[in-house]
Amino acid sequence: MKKIVVSLLLSLSLLGLGNAWAVDSLNISLAPEQANPPSPQMGDWLKFHSVIENSGSQAAHGVVAWISLVQVDPGHEQPVDLEDWSAHKAVTQAILQPGQQVKVEWPMRLIQAGAYRVVISAVDRETGHVMTSPFVDFQVRRKPVVDSGRILPVALGVPMLVLGMMAWRRYRRRTGV
Amino acid sequence: MNPITLIARKEAGELLMSGRGLAWLLALSVIMSVLSLLLVSNTELSLLDNAQVVYMVMGTVTALGALLAVVLGSDAVAGERERGSLMPLLLAPVTPSQIVFGKMGGQVAGWVVMYLLSLPYVWAVGSSGQNLTQAVAYLALFGTPVVLGFGFLGIALSARLRSVRSALLTSLITLMLLASPLLLGPSLRQSAIGKLFDAVNPFSAAVNSFDSVVIDSQPLAMQINRLAISLVWLVLTAVFAIRSVRKMEI
Repeated sequence: MKKIVVSLLLSLSLLGLGNAWAVDSLNISLAPEQANPPSPQMGDWLKFHSVIENSGSQAAHGVVAWISLVQVDPGHEQPVDLEDWSAHKAVTQAILQPGQQVKVEWPMRLIQAGAYRVVISAVDRETGHVMTSPFVDFQVRRKPVVDSGRILPVALGVPMLVLGMMAWRRYRRRTGV
Repeated sequence: MNPITLIARKEAGELLMSGRGLAWLLALSVIMSVLSLLLVSNTELSLLDNAQVVYMVMGTVTALGALLAVVLGSDAVAGERERGSLMPLLLAPVTPSQIVFGKMGGQVAGWVVMYLLSLPYVWAVGSSGQNLTQAVAYLALFGTPVVLGFGFLGIALSARLRSVRSALLTSLITLMLLASPLLLGPSLRQSAIGKLFDAVNPFSAAVNSFDSVVIDSQPLAMQINRLAISLVWLVLTAVFAIRSVRKMEI
């Protein structure tokens, strides 16, 4: 019985060692660019830099890293579809040797106001789980995109202008000018 | 004065100075006003939604411009025939080519008026969003060949079908068919037939370019094929109109 328990513990610890290698195999850092606006608003561009490093002792094959964005406003927590925010959503690396690094730049156009959390995730062919970078939080200020003060005068003014032309024409015809 | 200029000025004058022409412009401006108010009534629009509003206004302006063009074009020859003014026009010292070029000049004037009328709306809905300058430029670049093409088609049908009603109905059916991308989103046009339709349809070329430039901020280099489709449409309809007017019978 003791032998079985010891064998089981040994197997589990070996599995743990395997997982530990997997957890430590890729180190991912994430930092906003220093030139980013301190208080960004809708329409601004932000850039994030990440370094994906193989800190393990074996080469990582088929590395895929991608950027994810989550809105974290209370009551509006949701993942964000990056379709309109960024054209640069993922990178791939066929092989990453031990100690080798890949530097990636992630540009992003701010489409909607709110509080956001960005993270870089990566997987390789051998590891059975996702490795992630630390989060970076940022806030996007609302930019007024619809100026009702402009629309109402135009919506009323243009038809009034045409009506004015019609009245002027009628006046000219009546007076024979 | 050059007969072409004379006829073009008469056509433009009928739009800007006649009660009927001004009533058309009033109706078009009311449609634009209602559309603008409806589109911007949502104050929670994101930056992208604002670009979407500008895109929709551009598509609507192109469709309304084409509508005005087919009405003017359908009346161009058949209207003269029904009012009894075609014979005096043909007896005047002008060639059929000069008549058709003069009518085309009237179409250009109609589109210029429609374009100028639409600029305040484009500015009002897009002034605080993205790619407003591009929207104004691309509305001129793509709207002009597409709208004038519909006008020239109307002139051709007006010369061939001999009645305003027939020419107008045929032109409107063509316009509704080609302008269907305004109603069908891109996802509904992903079938083989939809892609083929998009590849040859000048209206699709225009609205896809509006989408590409205003919403996706893509450059002119990516619009060359679409511009070529619009220009081919313009040339084909112009040739059709010229040949139809030259061959018309009293």
